[in-house]
Amino acid sequence: MLVLTRRPGESIMVGDDVVITVLEVRGDVVRVGIAAPRSVQVHREEIYRELQAANREAASPSKAAVDSLSQLLRP
Amino acid sequence: MTNSSVRSTTISEETTTTLPVIEFVTPLPGFPRHRSFMLVRLDDDGLLYELASVDDPELRFVVVPPAPFFPEYTPEVSEESLELLGITAAEVDQLLTLLVVTVGSTPSRTTANLLAPILIDPVRLRALQVILAGTDNPVRAPLRSAA
Repeated sequence: MLVLTRRPGESIMVGDDVVITVLEVRGDVVRVGIAAPRSVQVHREEIYRELQAANREAASPSKAAVDSLSQLLRP
Repeated sequence: MTNSSVRSTTISEETTTTLPVIEFVTPLPGFPRHRSFMLVRLDDDGLLYELASVDDPELRFVVVPPAPFFPEYTPEVSEESLELLGITAAEVDQLLTLLVVTVGSTPSRTTANLLAPILIDPVRLRALQVILAGTDNPVRAPLRSAA
C-alpha cells in the first residue's frame, strides 16, 4: 500500500481523472472529497463489502428453495 | 416492442420466448465478470423473477418487483446513476425496479435487498444495481407478501 502524508486542502491524484482531497481533520475524523468521472462509482468500503456479501449470498439459490418460496407466495 | 408493453413488470409471452439480454453497465458487486443477464418470470402472478446469467448457466438471482411486498418503497435515484444508465431524468419513469432476494432455508427467512435495488431500462436493455447511500433501507428486509 502506498502511504502519503497530506494536509487539509491537499490532494492525491489516482490515475488521470480521480482527485481525492483531504478537506478537514478533526480528532479521529477525516473528511475527504472525491472528484471522479461519473463512470467511476465511489462508495464507502463497508457498504460496498456488505453489498458484495449480500449478492454472493443471494446468488443461485436451490431450485427446491425457490419452488417452495413460489408456492408460499401464490395467492 | 413498444414502450408501453415493457413498462409493466409483467412480461408478455412473446418476450419470454425470445428473452432480451440485459447488460449491466457496472457489474453487480461481487460478480465483476458477469454483465449479461436475462430476466425470466418464475410464476404466473408476476411476483417472482430470475436474473439468469447469459455466460454462466449456474449463476442466477431471484428478484421481485417491490410493489407487492413493500408498497411504501420509493427509491430515489441519483443523477450519477441515471448518467451511468445513459438516461435522462425525463425517462426515469420507464425504469423497472427489482429487488435482489436471498432465499432462506425457510420462506420466512427469505429477505430482499432494499438498500441496493436493480434498475433496468427496458428500452435500451441496460441495468445497474444502485446503492441508496445515506438512507436507512436495509440490505436484508424480510419478504412479506401483500397477497
